[in-house]
Amino acid sequence: MATISFAKSLVNPALKLVLKQSQCSHIRCTSLPTLTPLSIILRRNYAEKQIFERNKPHCNVGTIGHVDHGKTTLTAAITKVLSDLNLAQKKGYADIDNAPEEKARGITINVAHVEYQTDKRHYGHTDCPGHADYIKNMITGTAQMDGAILVVAATDGVMPQTREHLILAKQIGIEHIVVFINKVDAADQEMVELVEMEIRELMSEMGYDGDKIPVIKGSALCALEGKSPEIGAEAINKLLEEVDNFIPTPVRELDKPFLLPVESVHSIPGRGTVVTGRLYRGVLKKGTECEIVGHGKVMKTTVTGVEMFHKTLEEAQAGDQLGALVRSIKREQIRRGMVMAKPGTVKAHDSFDAAVYILSKEEGGRAKPFTSFIQLQMFSMTWDCATQVTIPDKEMVMPGEDSTLQLRLLKPMVCETGQRFTLRLGDLTLGTGVITKINKDLSEDERLKLLEGKKAREKAAAKK
Amino acid sequence: MKQKVKSYSTMILQLVRRLHITPVCQAAESSLLAKLRKKTGYTIANCKKALEMNNNDSDKAEAWLNEQAQAMGWAKATKLAGRKALQGLVAVKYDKNHGALVELNCETDFVAKNDKFQKVLEDATLACYKFAHTNLQSKGPITKLELDSEQLGGLTADGGKKLSEVLALFIGSVGENAILRRAECWKANSSDVKITAYTHPAPSTPRDYSTGKYGALLAYKQPNDVEDVGKQICQHIVGCAPRKIGDKDKDKPSKNADDETCLIFQEYLLDPSYTVEEIIQNNKLEVVDYVRFSCGEEAEEEMPGFEKQPLDTVQTLQ
Repeated sequence: MATISFAKSLVNPALKLVLKQSQCSHIRCTSLPTLTPLSIILRRNYAEKQIFERNKPHCNVGTIGHVDHGKTTLTAAITKVLSDLNLAQKKGYADIDNAPEEKARGITINVAHVEYQTDKRHYGHTDCPGHADYIKNMITGTAQMDGAILVVAATDGVMPQTREHLILAKQIGIEHIVVFINKVDAADQEMVELVEMEIRELMSEMGYDGDKIPVIKGSALCALEGKSPEIGAEAINKLLEEVDNFIPTPVRELDKPFLLPVESVHSIPGRGTVVTGRLYRGVLKKGTECEIVGHGKVMKTTVTGVEMFHKTLEEAQAGDQLGALVRSIKREQIRRGMVMAKPGTVKAHDSFDAAVYILSKEEGGRAKPFTSFIQLQMFSMTWDCATQVTIPDKEMVMPGEDSTLQLRLLKPMVCETGQRFTLRLGDLTLGTGVITKINKDLSEDERLKLLEGKKAREKAAAKK
Repeated sequence: MKQKVKSYSTMILQLVRRLHITPVCQAAESSLLAKLRKKTGYTIANCKKALEMNNNDSDKAEAWLNEQAQAMGWAKATKLAGRKALQGLVAVKYDKNHGALVELNCETDFVAKNDKFQKVLEDATLACYKFAHTNLQSKGPITKLELDSEQLGGLTADGGKKLSEVLALFIGSVGENAILRRAECWKANSSDVKITAYTHPAPSTPRDYSTGKYGALLAYKQPNDVEDVGKQICQHIVGCAPRKIGDKDKDKPSKNADDETCLIFQEYLLDPSYTVEEIIQNNKLEVVDYVRFSCGEEAEEEMPGFEKQPLDTVQTLQ
């Protein structure tokens, strides 16, 4: 028992790092009463700040639409109306519009982030200025949107670029859109109806269910100024109600099948092998059947004990840093980079497509672009592996650009669609990405080809 | 055609649906408005105004709208003139002896993906390409004409309209600021100088017109009996953004290879085991001149050889 605790204390420094990076860090806040060095720092710096209460499900929404149609005004109006109900902090137009220092920061830029809550849910609200910014945010995971509010001004109607806005929404996987027709105070009934008709038509054309999409008419400006409540505050309330109902709450990490990337393995005399790591998703209990996959192996076993911070745990939740005792497996059989998961839920692959954002030089990337067949080191979960990159639709990828890449690993590793990773070259981080599609595993021939140099490739091409 | 029929039929369907709830007379009016909007694509507010002014005569209203479009475009363009526009595209059009490189800016990259934007850019590029064929000639191997926003606007597009008018119409239509930022028109003065161009992202099949976020023109000399690597060098220039060609005798290579700003000392993009100089020598190529545009870049002064000249004096340049 003492030794397992010792093992834990070894892992603790890693925990600090993981905490900072983790997407699930918000989950662990609730389940981790222990003082880690990070939480001490947090407490010192933010002592006077309010405490975030997690009592409603969270959902991320964003506004899309033409620059002059009032996206920012709508966001300001939403916070104003909700602040009257004590559900949000009022934000002015200037607070929401991107401040220059926002732009100067690193990779998580160009997002105006506003939070508010309705009676039902808590919202994070995003507004990005351009297509490339949305794509970048999707790839880096800074602002994943579960749904969107499309803003259209009744005076202008659907603009030529509204089509591009919807194409973007499709591309970043937004399936639920609520439409807000803005500026109805400057238009008459007839115009508003016409705009609604146009939007439904365009949405249907773009593959959404145009007839069922909720369309709310109002004036964000009236709501902001507290004038004519029937098109002002009431319209905003109606909009939020539709957002509540129409955009489904995302599945939480806790409700998914469990997955634990292996950080390290220890052998405890008299007890057996202990696997440590941070539970990435789901819940893990003593006695659970599990599968350990990776480095070309698949092993089935049972978890005979779960421990966290020197104490036995009934049930570990996503985000917990834990040690799991596994039955009848030797320490040598498990390596860092493997993944322990519910049987049948994960598989190792070595070929897939990914959407990748390549860092610009200012963000710490490389100044030069790269071309196909560059060999990079790919880091994901706890594993890393050499990978060969091919660019399917361009001749090169410039820094600061997003692109689709085909990646081929030298050996199969656990991957699934939606998994995030980092690409590095030497001591530089080149880019970060998300797996979009798993391809057929490589044949033995193809794998050998990965190791060939440029000369050999050219020779082979010449022979053909 | 099929799509048109389909969209009309959905429109009629929706009109019929509304007939249930709205008085018949209003439906008739709004169908007029809907029709006019559908047909002309002008903003709803303007369509409405046109109908009101012309007593619901849709033909007259349409004529009025078309008449007003230019004026409204100008009004909108003036209103939006101060707004920052740093998105957009760079376009090139070239043949063996001529090249045109044009940058058109807009506020959001959504607009840059729109067909109308692409059309304006193509018009502007063709106008510049045509302009490169004029009789202007300077001393030296190539004639370079550098145009700024104002000079660009003065060029005539294919339809006989000025580019500035075409642009104003476009601004009126998308309601976003757009700027014809700058252009380069090149002409080779002797037959041994070749011109090539590259944009990134490159089109999947090589074409003489392409658009992208980055673009470059390259003038070079190369004997005909060796493999033409002009395009690849041009790609390297787009990718690695050298500040100048560099002189072997005067310039020294930078200590850190990644910070190298002289073209000849840079590692060759397509095969980093060579420097550009080695590639140039191996292929007997001589780089005469190049220019590179990166869309939205702010420091115009830093562009190689960029000096603002009035249009009538450019011919004496070099």
